[in-house]
Amino acid sequence: MIEQLDALLAQLDALQERALRELEAINSLAELEDWDVRYLGRHRGELKNFSTLIPKLGKAERPVIGQKINAVKEKLESALETRRQELRDRELREALERERLDVTLPGRALPAGHMHPISRTILEVARIFTRMGFQVVQGPEVETDYYNFQALNIPVDHPARDMQDTFWVVPGEILLRTQTSPMQIRVMQATRPPVRVIVPGKVFRHEAIDASHEAMFHQIEGLLVDERCTMADLKGSLARFAREMFGEDRRVRFRGSYFPFTEPSAEVDIDCILCKGSGCRLCKYSGWLEILGSGMVHPRVLREVGYDPRKYRGYAFGMGVERIAMLKYAIGEIRLFSGNDLRFLRQF
Amino acid sequence: MRVPLSWLKEYVEITQSPQELAHTLTMAGLEVETLDYIGADWGDQIITAQITHLEKVPGSDHLSYTRINTGSGEIGVICGAPNIKEGDKVPLALPGARIGDLTIGVARKMGYVSEGMLCSPRELGLGSDHSGIYILDPETPLGVKLADLLSDVVLEFAIKAHRGDLSSIIGIAREVAALTHKPLRLPEPRFNEQGQPAAELVKVTVEDRELCPRYSARVISGVKIGPSPGWMARRLLMAGMRPINLIVDITNYVMLEVGQPLHAFDYDLVREHHIIVRRARDGEEMTTLDGVQRRLRNDMLLITDPQGPTAIAGVMGSAISEVNEGTTRILLESANFKPASIRRTAVALGLRTESSSRFEKGLDPELTIFGANRAAQLMAELAGGQVHPGIVDVYPKPVEARSILFSPAEVEWLTGLKVTSRQVHEALSALEFKVEEVSAAADAAGGEQLLRVTIPTFRGDIEEGADLVEEVLRMIGYDQLPATVPEGPLPEPHGDHWFEREYEIREILIGLGLHEILTYAMTSRQRMLNLLAEVNAQTAQVLLQKPADDGQAGWIIASAQERAGSEDGLASDGREPFDARSLPAVTIANPLSNELECMRLTLLSGLMETLQENSKRNRAGLRLFEIGRRYLPRGAGELPEERRCAGIALCGPAAISWVPELARPADFYDLKGIVETLLERLHIRRYRFSAAQHPTFHPGRCAVLEVGRPGMDGGERFTPVGFLGEVHPLVQQRYDLPHRAYLCELDLETLYAAVPERLNYAPISRHQELTRDLAVVVDQQVPARAVQEAIERHGGELLRTVALFDVYTGTPIPPGKKSLTYTLLYQAQDRTLTDAEANALQERIVAALGEEFGAVLRS
Repeated sequence: MIEQLDALLAQLDALQERALRELEAINSLAELEDWDVRYLGRHRGELKNFSTLIPKLGKAERPVIGQKINAVKEKLESALETRRQELRDRELREALERERLDVTLPGRALPAGHMHPISRTILEVARIFTRMGFQVVQGPEVETDYYNFQALNIPVDHPARDMQDTFWVVPGEILLRTQTSPMQIRVMQATRPPVRVIVPGKVFRHEAIDASHEAMFHQIEGLLVDERCTMADLKGSLARFAREMFGEDRRVRFRGSYFPFTEPSAEVDIDCILCKGSGCRLCKYSGWLEILGSGMVHPRVLREVGYDPRKYRGYAFGMGVERIAMLKYAIGEIRLFSGNDLRFLRQF
Repeated sequence: MRVPLSWLKEYVEITQSPQELAHTLTMAGLEVETLDYIGADWGDQIITAQITHLEKVPGSDHLSYTRINTGSGEIGVICGAPNIKEGDKVPLALPGARIGDLTIGVARKMGYVSEGMLCSPRELGLGSDHSGIYILDPETPLGVKLADLLSDVVLEFAIKAHRGDLSSIIGIAREVAALTHKPLRLPEPRFNEQGQPAAELVKVTVEDRELCPRYSARVISGVKIGPSPGWMARRLLMAGMRPINLIVDITNYVMLEVGQPLHAFDYDLVREHHIIVRRARDGEEMTTLDGVQRRLRNDMLLITDPQGPTAIAGVMGSAISEVNEGTTRILLESANFKPASIRRTAVALGLRTESSSRFEKGLDPELTIFGANRAAQLMAELAGGQVHPGIVDVYPKPVEARSILFSPAEVEWLTGLKVTSRQVHEALSALEFKVEEVSAAADAAGGEQLLRVTIPTFRGDIEEGADLVEEVLRMIGYDQLPATVPEGPLPEPHGDHWFEREYEIREILIGLGLHEILTYAMTSRQRMLNLLAEVNAQTAQVLLQKPADDGQAGWIIASAQERAGSEDGLASDGREPFDARSLPAVTIANPLSNELECMRLTLLSGLMETLQENSKRNRAGLRLFEIGRRYLPRGAGELPEERRCAGIALCGPAAISWVPELARPADFYDLKGIVETLLERLHIRRYRFSAAQHPTFHPGRCAVLEVGRPGMDGGERFTPVGFLGEVHPLVQQRYDLPHRAYLCELDLETLYAAVPERLNYAPISRHQELTRDLAVVVDQQVPARAVQEAIERHGGELLRTVALFDVYTGTPIPPGKKSLTYTLLYQAQDRTLTDAEANALQERIVAALGEEFGAVLRS
């Protein structure tokens, strides 16, 4: 029986040696699973075959063989686990290598769109004034002569009409608004003070179109009416606007002007954003750039909407959006705004 | 208004440099547009000289050869001007001088040597006259640099519409005097009057006293017509006028100097020596001095004599009684006309003159006498005239100087600028307002200081306190205004978020890769009709349609089936040619061009045209949007309805890209996906897309989007928002695009109305969800939306989501059928669903689909 035991032990040693040798040669997880079944399989595994012999052995031999089988099993299982880990690591490494990308290829992002510079400028201006408590309102672009002119103290046959050549729909009655100012009247008719509104929108002038003139462009009107506002407030508000829009160190200059619906009226200049006031081509060597027209709401306009000019005071201003955008982005050609050339639009 | 500085200095002392003066005036509201330095570029090479000999150049019809005395020698010059003669003193440009871009050299021409050039006023920068050589005063010394004699600075003003009084040298001088605290020196017309009184020589009848508040006339006899003296001609030239003859020049000179337009008639040509000022008769005609025959209207004022019109009042005269070579007696008109009337006449006749532009801004009726006397003085002094005694002056209602009570506190009240009563007093007095202090107790309760301010008659623009505030501000200086922040109360919120919404939509569309464009709101009917595959009265209606509250009214929506079964579908009728003019649109009476004759009815034509323009230079695809208005006409005399819309256009691939998906040309579902994302971002959940017919679009690739809201009966009511689709091939080919184009136009008002007022949060169920896939085979024509809606309806509350993840046609699906595969997610809010429940629902859905669409489960 001893011989038989020794032979069995020797076979187990040989099995272990063979199994380990084979394991060394295995290069894939699939082969590894085959090996696992072959040697450690629960039903047909070679080691299992030895276990089935145990009951046939004598009482003394059984534990010896049993222990030996367990030792071999442990040895093989541990080797298998080690090998499996090695193979997994390698396969992962290889997979990662295979999956290497050219990270410098352009991404799959959808191309971004762009906001039109006029919309962008209106938004910037609106944000500045809404922070000062103004509300953004809109009004008709096809207007009556009354709102566009008469209610604004520009009667029929007034020479101030020359300042704004008009597209007529019904001559003398209905027109394309030449300014956003008619909304001053509409807003005041619809509400009572305090009023703080800005009105962005399209306006139309019957002008030959060239590098600095458009038949359709945009304005932003501002109107503030309450019981305490003064022209100094107008100056302070516009100075603040200029600094936010064109830079912290901007200076604002008021000078006398004439608009039929404001009194006193003022033209507003900022010091030149290019030369800071020393004189250059942009500012025609004056050091100043005209950015908007403004003034205190004319008492006649207040009376027209039923506001008592001894009680209420108001300021109004109007700026050309294209003008502001041209200054801000150094654009020398007004026609670009309606040209819709993507090479231009993509820059905003 | 051009004001030579040398002339201005005659009335006010000027110590500032021209730039300083320009700045002072600009700040006070008299904007100096340009400073024109006359003679700055003349250099040393342009001198005074005299023609000593003149001969025609043989073989030339206009050239002369002249010998010129330069003061230090004699040279020969060839000259082509018609107006020179021996003895004339002229400006001579010597070799080396620069005239504009031209450098003068020695030239040989037709056998003569020309060693210089004689100059016209225009060549010297003295106005626009180029009709001949500039003839200098006979007293001019020879060989002197012209710049030493004639250089000057001309200030060019843009005179504002309310200040007719500033359209004169004296008017400007008055402002300069006030602003620089210098006295104003007015000319005092002095002359002898003799002979028969004017009143016996001329009769003036003013029939329309409203349009002609004053008519003053003088008679001057014995005048000699000739050229004006050099100094006067030079001033007229620099002010932008052309010297004509001494008498006409004097009237122009006085108009420029004092601002009163004058008219000189040949007294002997005024029939019966009777001036009648009356309105024209409708259809009456006369030929004005510019040789144009004018047809007149009853609202135009005429100067006539008993036999007919001789001038259009305040605008232009006629040849009938014009001053001419033989004139010896002058009837001098110095009148005042109603501004609005002059303006209306000038506009109607397209005739804007120096005279009309002054009258229409409003002139002081008190100015007529000063103007007449000043001209009479000059005619006596320069033309040897004899001024007849007296002025015939028809002035039924003399203007009275108005006065207003003004509180100096108004300045601070309106401007925030603190001023003393004394400052106000000084500022207004400097501008010739008469200021008296009024006893406060008598006039005002608060005991505040009041001033009685009498307004000079030449300041018709001053009416009330605010006007005086501006005058004070101009004098003290706008730069003195403090800058403060408005401290008044803020207005109540107005609850209209159109601006935020509009920008939200912009941002969403930009995020989806669309570029914003901005096209003209003006277009033409033809440009809009280009959008219709077939143009007829019915298809043109789509350009005018709009969402109506009562559902689909006004919208052309027909399902594909309806159209297939219809005998008179859109495409088959309207064979008669359609007249573009019959398309209702807001028409511009005075358009810039035929391309811009009306207001747009749709954003789509602008989008298509922009695609076209950009596709020429853009290899990548185009993805554009515009937010703007459509202008839908209403009844005559009414303002149109302006509807805000968003238009979208896609054409070609999203990008030039190595990624096939991005390089794929856009298709219908790209456009629809953009619209769906927009709806999702706006939290609009109740909407549907249906197949639709629209003459702009491919009949099988067009959908209408409708948004829903609960109806009265508990059902859902849908309102159309707009169409989207692939552009019809017949439309596409008119725009020459490299790829198929896709368009969409959404009515923003309708879209906003569908945005929920607030977002409702539904708690997230913690119970398990069960997923079931469902693949059904249905006929090709069955719309996917119908299947989806049926699934949702029959799945009920426990069916949380349905998502279509596969659409398949081809083997093994039979021809004419398609397979739709959905994944369904079941979940209850309050319990864990059992498999059995989910399976039962699933079976119910399958059964319903079978019943409604003949759907079978895909095996």
